[in-house]
Amino acid sequence: MSTISIKNLRKTYGPYVAVDDLTFEIPDACVFGLLGPNGAGKTTTFKCMLGLARATSGSVLYDGAPLVPETLERIAYVPERSVLYEWMTVGEHIEMQRRAYRKFSVARARELLAQFGIDLRKKARALSKGMRTATMVALAIARESDILILDEPTSGLDPINQRHVLNLIINESARGATVIFSSHQIGQVERAAERIAVIDRGRLALEGNVDDLKADRKIVEGILPSETFALNGLAGDPHILRLDRNGRIVRAVTSSDAGEVLAKFEALGASGLRIVDLNLEDIFLYAVSPADATADVVEGH
Amino acid sequence: MPVVLTVDPRSGVPIYLQVIEQVKRSVALGVLAAGEQLPTVKQLALDLTINPNTVAKAYRELERDGVIETAAGRGSFVRGNGSIETTKTAATDVARDAIDAAVREAKSIGLLADDIRTLASAAIDRWFREDA
Amino acid sequence: MNYVEWLRVRNALRVTAICLGISIVVALVVRISIAAQFGSTHDIVNRLGAEKDTVTTHSVVDGFNRTTLTNAREHTVVVIEDQADGSKIIQITEPGNSAHSNSVSMGPVRVSTSESGGVEKTTIETNRPVPFGIYAAIAAVIALIIATVLGAPFAKENDGHLEIAFLKPVSRTNNALGVVLADCVGILVAEVMTVLAFAIMQAFFEVPHFDFSGINSTAILLAIALPFSWYTFLNASTASLKRGAGAVVGLAWPAAFVSIALAGLNLGTSIAGQTFHTIFWSISRIFPLTYVQFEGHDNDLSSLGPKLMTTAAILTGLFLVYGALAVVQWRRVEA
Repeated sequence: MSTISIKNLRKTYGPYVAVDDLTFEIPDACVFGLLGPNGAGKTTTFKCMLGLARATSGSVLYDGAPLVPETLERIAYVPERSVLYEWMTVGEHIEMQRRAYRKFSVARARELLAQFGIDLRKKARALSKGMRTATMVALAIARESDILILDEPTSGLDPINQRHVLNLIINESARGATVIFSSHQIGQVERAAERIAVIDRGRLALEGNVDDLKADRKIVEGILPSETFALNGLAGDPHILRLDRNGRIVRAVTSSDAGEVLAKFEALGASGLRIVDLNLEDIFLYAVSPADATADVVEGH
Repeated sequence: MPVVLTVDPRSGVPIYLQVIEQVKRSVALGVLAAGEQLPTVKQLALDLTINPNTVAKAYRELERDGVIETAAGRGSFVRGNGSIETTKTAATDVARDAIDAAVREAKSIGLLADDIRTLASAAIDRWFREDA
Repeated sequence: MNYVEWLRVRNALRVTAICLGISIVVALVVRISIAAQFGSTHDIVNRLGAEKDTVTTHSVVDGFNRTTLTNAREHTVVVIEDQADGSKIIQITEPGNSAHSNSVSMGPVRVSTSESGGVEKTTIETNRPVPFGIYAAIAAVIALIIATVLGAPFAKENDGHLEIAFLKPVSRTNNALGVVLADCVGILVAEVMTVLAFAIMQAFFEVPHFDFSGINSTAILLAIALPFSWYTFLNASTASLKRGAGAVVGLAWPAAFVSIALAGLNLGTSIAGQTFHTIFWSISRIFPLTYVQFEGHDNDLSSLGPKLMTTAAILTGLFLVYGALAVVQWRRVEA
């Protein structure tokens, strides 16, 4: 069992609030995607989860218990930037991890590094950014850990290797590991993740199951009889997250029950009604963009 | 068991629904024969680069819809002993969804019911002409 | 022992070995090139004995060769006695009255002079036992350099590697102690390597004998305590730093010397003077190097012994205190 509970997590650096009142849960054997703009607080969240930073308040619990050194035996982490020792070879990094952890498969590490085309004798400073990321990914997966946390694991990699990393994540999930990863490539998160959380400016903007979110969040579109047609407080509807109006076209992003909202549009006198599906990128962008956007509305597919 | 499914994660349609639809389509077309084994959850997840639980969810629904059956320890297989019924059910499901979407779209751009019926008849005539 | 730190130590020891190796080779080259001049009795005799009016006689005393060179005209007698261990005692008797009674030891060689009644007597003894304290001092200097090189291990981890260092399934304290252990072992190994290298270099000329008596043994304790305490001092000074550790380590030496110098100033008896003196003196106590100042105790070895012991004890204490300070700081660092 490897559930992770984050409760009211708050981390400040002096006057700067990095994350505030974050609460969500990562169930056992789930692939959990963490999304957010740059500087939103994703890396800070990871650091608090791993004890690399001390939370100002709130808690992170692993199966109900706080993090202790022993827990780290079950967690593998791939940070966003390279933490490899520039002066050590890839092979020496393998040896280092082998000695540090009870469970570490040298054979698997070598296999993965070979797949990425990384020479074990090379010093870390001789590797490109993408290859350093790939090395860290290989070292983490060779741990065969219960929990795998990856911060932007595909940055710097070419598309083939990006797909390879994604497949490795899926393989880990199939093995039963709990995987948490953040990525700016929302398409990757869309493929691999079951649940996501969106963090924006340190706060939780959105959280839930990907399929449920896609089922609930739709755009209901209608054409009003005139540009100045009154909406009669439609924006206050509890199912509507935001309402955008562009001339005669009105679009509502729903949080649920798109059908009901459609009926309301119809009752109001709108025509040309349709429901548009949203993909994860759309859902994410709506979650983080300011609520008062009017003219520019992102199109769904 | 080469099964060629493709999913588009960016389409807005939940991936598990796409998998269900594609399996049904494959069965309807006979690409997946009755009794044929589907890829394992893990294998399909890796082939399509999607979450294994998504595949599992799709398989569960396919089983609930009677399209496949899962034998513990042995895998998932297309249901039926070559019966036309299974194939037809799958085909009907696929076609129903497509026609439903087309009618909804037509309605949303302002066509009336009779206009749509006329269009549908014309389309049927056109596509079945060579069979006549 | 921390593997990464051990690799760092190994690299430092490799460089040390290369430097010592070069020194050995240079010593060997020197030895070979001056072989012609360096004294077998035969060579000395050939040189001196060839002078005009010198009469050379050989005799055997107690089973060992004694060569006497007498120059009656210049009233000079040189007696060369070969000893059992291959060393020599050379006595030169010549007219003169400018020498004072004196004895100078340089490692294994001791030169004593005395004068009475217009006759100067110079005795040169080779291969006397070498006070091991000298070797210990040389080893301590090398060890101080190694301690400085290894001196900021926590800071090096802080600079972008904590995601590896702090995610090991061991307590941070144990992690820290593993790092310190690797460095201390490295310092000790460097000292042993230095002693061996110098013994080899000396052996090219004469097989060394060591005198471990009295303060020479205490010197060993000091030669370990000083670099150890300097290492943990540097570590404690940089344990919380992510950047700039190199500057702190680099400035530590000059800071120590300046501090020692300031503490030694006589600032007068005024309140201001006394206050400043106390301040400077207190600051200088922070640096382990402060405690190894000994003013000209060459002749007063009896009091030097206890003083060295006290110093070794103080430095050991500093080693432990600074070590604890470094570990406590590192436990609290955030990535």
